[in-house]
Amino acid sequence: MVIAALLVAIAGTTLLTGTASAQSGTTISGIVVGIDTDADGRLTKFAIADSSGTITTFEVSDATEYGLENQAGDRWVSSQGEQPVEVARRLRDHRERFAPVTVSSENGIATSVVEREEGKLETSLGYLFAVFAITWALFFVYVLYVGRKQRVLQHEIARLKGASHPAK
Amino acid sequence: MTKVLNFLDPLPIFSAALMGLALWLIFIWVPTEINQGAVQRILYFHVPVAWGSMLGIFVVSGSSIMYLWKKNEKWDRLAVASAEVGVVFGGLMLLSGMIWARPVWSVWWTGEAKLTTALILFFIYVAYLMFRAYFPPGTQRQRLAAVIGLIGAVNTPIIYFAANLWTQAHPPIVTGPAADAESSLGSDLGTVLLVSTLAFTFLFIYLVQIRYKIRKAEDDIVELKRSAGSNPPVVPVTPDQAATTEARGTS
Repeated sequence: MVIAALLVAIAGTTLLTGTASAQSGTTISGIVVGIDTDADGRLTKFAIADSSGTITTFEVSDATEYGLENQAGDRWVSSQGEQPVEVARRLRDHRERFAPVTVSSENGIATSVVEREEGKLETSLGYLFAVFAITWALFFVYVLYVGRKQRVLQHEIARLKGASHPAK
Repeated sequence: MTKVLNFLDPLPIFSAALMGLALWLIFIWVPTEINQGAVQRILYFHVPVAWGSMLGIFVVSGSSIMYLWKKNEKWDRLAVASAEVGVVFGGLMLLSGMIWARPVWSVWWTGEAKLTTALILFFIYVAYLMFRAYFPPGTQRQRLAAVIGLIGAVNTPIIYFAANLWTQAHPPIVTGPAADAESSLGSDLGTVLLVSTLAFTFLFIYLVQIRYKIRKAEDDIVELKRSAGSNPPVVPVTPDQAATTEARGTS
């Protein structure tokens, strides 16, 4: 039963996950899932997965601006033209930490990449409900299964005892 | 046979009361965490069920050692009861973790150390139970199952320390001896986590207890059948009764 629930969850992930390319004038929040650099280690493009699982790829230009924080919360501000190698390193750090970012773009080219702005985490009650519902549903099903098994065993024991010690 | 589901038993009553208190603390009392928002409350379920799954394998391995040493059936019963409850807790640990990761990490699953070792623990439980289900009954099965249980125990400390050994995406340890001061929970959050963990621990004990009694009943049936085989029943059995008995005996 638990394995079946896991398989359903994994299948759901596969079905729900999709890919998309950046549209003009969009702002997307998500985590960094892919980074491309040239031979000199300069960032050329990167990909973001948003909360629906959609992966969006962004090109960068010298005008692309960055405002990213490290794990300690120190903010680093620069642009692609100024520090293209450091940009790639910072985004890799974000990818490893699963730190979400917000990307503004024009025609598929990122104009700014900053720490995630106000997201939907505070209202993600559906996920909370899902955990509690699944937890209790599983426990109740398990207790029902145990109860049913107990009844069958009780009947079996009573029958066997009756058979070995018949009423006289 | 001892009645398994006895609702006047103090243990389920205490477990239910403690669970009610935990739910009140989780949804009403504790403040919402600033960074993650409402989904952080999943932690109060995820950590206790993860603890339950690790407690399960600990009991399985402890009972396995005792069985190999003493050759007493009660230890084998305790091991299998604990493994079955442990697989339920392990499955819930994985599911609740995946649901938490979706809004926070934007992915359901990633191959980082803590998640991978937890998945291995789940598979060890599944392997243990599958082995017991499909291997022919007897002392050999119990011995080999005990060895699988011991292998599972090796994985437990690796899971616990994984977040510290391999610094990756999973939040660091927040409770226990390996938790550092920076990652420890605040007093309110820690209190809720403690109460919730206690509630799930008692639930675990209760479930293991009822599963143990069922296992004992199954052994009693085998014993009764064996004695009935040596003393054939005097009472005539109709063909329908015989068919029902056969079906139950093989299920």
